[in-house]
Amino acid sequence: MSTPETATGAFAIVPRTGRARAAWQSLRIVPLLEPRQTVSRAMRATVYLSALFLAGVLSVALLVWAGVPAGDLWRELSSVAFNSPRALASVLAQTAPLVVAGLATSIAFRVGFWNIGIEGQMILGAVLATAVAVYDIGPEPLRLPLMALAACLGGMAWIAGPGWLKARLSMSEVITTLLLNYVAFNLLLHLLYGPWQDPASRFPHSEQFAAAERLPRLGWQNLTWSVPLAAGLALALWWVMSKSRLGYLLDLLRHNRHMAHALGVPVAGISIAAVLGSGAVGGLAGFTIVAGIESRLTQDFFVGYLFSGILIAFLARNNPVGVVVAAFFLATLMMLGQSLQVFFGIPFALIRLIQAIFIISVAGSEFFLGYRMHWRRAA
Amino acid sequence: MKALKGVMPTLAASTIMLGLAPAAQAELAAVGNPRPAVILYGPTNDGGWSQSIDEARQLLEETLGTRIAQAAEIPETATAIRPAAELFIERGANIIIGSAFGYSDTFAELAAEFPQIMFFNPAGTTNAQNLQSVYGRTYETHYLCGMVAGGLTESGRIGFVAANPFGLVNWTVNAYLLGARQINPDVELSVVFTGSWGDPVRERAATQALIEQGADVIGQHVDTPTPQIVAAEAGIFATGHHRDLSEFSAATQCSSVWTWDLYLGSAIEAVSAGTFEPAPYGAFLSIADGAVDVACCGPAVPDDLAARVMEAREAIIGGMHVFAGPLYDRDGTLRVAEGAVLDDGALWGMDWFVAGVTGQ
Repeated sequence: MSTPETATGAFAIVPRTGRARAAWQSLRIVPLLEPRQTVSRAMRATVYLSALFLAGVLSVALLVWAGVPAGDLWRELSSVAFNSPRALASVLAQTAPLVVAGLATSIAFRVGFWNIGIEGQMILGAVLATAVAVYDIGPEPLRLPLMALAACLGGMAWIAGPGWLKARLSMSEVITTLLLNYVAFNLLLHLLYGPWQDPASRFPHSEQFAAAERLPRLGWQNLTWSVPLAAGLALALWWVMSKSRLGYLLDLLRHNRHMAHALGVPVAGISIAAVLGSGAVGGLAGFTIVAGIESRLTQDFFVGYLFSGILIAFLARNNPVGVVVAAFFLATLMMLGQSLQVFFGIPFALIRLIQAIFIISVAGSEFFLGYRMHWRRAA
Repeated sequence: MKALKGVMPTLAASTIMLGLAPAAQAELAAVGNPRPAVILYGPTNDGGWSQSIDEARQLLEETLGTRIAQAAEIPETATAIRPAAELFIERGANIIIGSAFGYSDTFAELAAEFPQIMFFNPAGTTNAQNLQSVYGRTYETHYLCGMVAGGLTESGRIGFVAANPFGLVNWTVNAYLLGARQINPDVELSVVFTGSWGDPVRERAATQALIEQGADVIGQHVDTPTPQIVAAEAGIFATGHHRDLSEFSAATQCSSVWTWDLYLGSAIEAVSAGTFEPAPYGAFLSIADGAVDVACCGPAVPDDLAARVMEAREAIIGGMHVFAGPLYDRDGTLRVAEGAVLDDGALWGMDWFVAGVTGQ
């Protein structure tokens, strides 16, 4: 515990005793924080790259401490994780659903609606898409678009309730969207252990989708159309957010709801549109996974996307292009983690720790973008 | 000529007929030089399913005299399974061992893409020339542990905490009661499905509810030792699943355990010798085949009961079927006729419970 005269600032490290303390006290250096008005692109890039570098150094130190020879580490990771087309394809395959889930989260966050129900919306989207596939609804050439549409409707239906409850009864959407995840999950289990159980294996997942019900392959590695779908969606949302009138109004809403209302902006309508849009994209994320990756409805296709979606939206500051970058970053971390496990037999807990170091470094670096630090002697 | 010929059986057949040497691309890379790698669904210390496979991996390291790499906590999604398998193959692994039914589709794709690599998947559903799904006839072991439960119960009511209601779980519930009734024909069984493979909170609640209903022995088919721990707290007995759960709780008097090292050891040996023949519908292994067995019996089991359990174990090894007719379900429908036994297809599709099972 520091005594009153040494408590010079939240970030000051004060030597406790002896000559060092005396010297320190004669200096009395304290950090002063000044909010930055603007941040240049170069500044932003420098800060993020420094954060990644710092995380890299910390991670390597950890790995070397865990017994991995440093030379091997670099050789293995640079040769396999980054240079092989197969590795890149794996990262992209993981990126696509993360992008869609991140976009879904960020749309709602943009209007201050804390949608913690992405997983529930993904489940409903995937369930309705699977219903189209299982019951062979519509002609085959239209099957995939119908599945996508059904997924959007499913996601929207699942977020409509919390949206209405918030608008009418001011009920916290954090609670309602979160709890509806469990309802959706139990519906999923009911279907998979009941009417939709795979008739071929009698295991609790749906039947395998027919060729017309799967997103086609791109013809490069094992990638499917989920990758261009995610990229296209991000691009479209980027246009809406930064170029369209709606995007401008959304920004206005976020900054000052009351002023927007006073100016005659249809605040309620725009908020509802954004919330339903978030649900629709969430449903589409479910579709991307069942039709683009799993080719059937499984029990845990959605697991982890709630947390990842929030993380991505946060890192990207709800910017659709940022979402793509953040999702790629997260997918690379997952892939790196697998490589480390496979190459060096490192325990999974250490992989998690390294992933956390990267995420905390990048998230923490935001501080330096928000504030300028001055070190000066205290009066 | 027993060597595996890859994914095109017609091609393989014609090669044999012509008496030609096996095509180079169809030869398994593991022949003469097996290098296995393991992809685990759960953490290596989950106390159950994943740990049982990891323990086999460690035993195989000793018998094969080589390090066997493993990647843990690989979820059942293609985006996670594929890179792990590909990285292992790039690193020279030529036998990939999985551990989840959710790996089935991806393993089937990988097996077609890498015909020179051998794949094994405990709990899987897909098979090919170079892909073998494997599961154990756990109804045999649960029948034996059920006998222990039937002998230990005083209230005549045993409880069972189960994960999810489908074939391979339902058969353990049914076999457990059939075993118990061998010792005490009046035993009733209450089952609670938690809806999750590993959820200690719900398993605790389910176990407590069963005990409150009067159950004094608890059987289980979930992935955690929670039911044993709750049973010990209540001062009653329990039986385990996956591994010998007496390490977690003294209440454990019998456990259905995996002995994957025995099956995988001999399978890898056969692959290495070029004599491995995959079972086209999956290897469905009994106690006699050595993938599943019981750890029995705990100190509370009287010697004569233990002897009867071991006798029954020998009978099962000798060919006795647990689901032998006549068997009625709890609605009174005849499910297995007099003199018949349940076939494997009916086992995997088991969606009924024998008379005497209550619960959902």
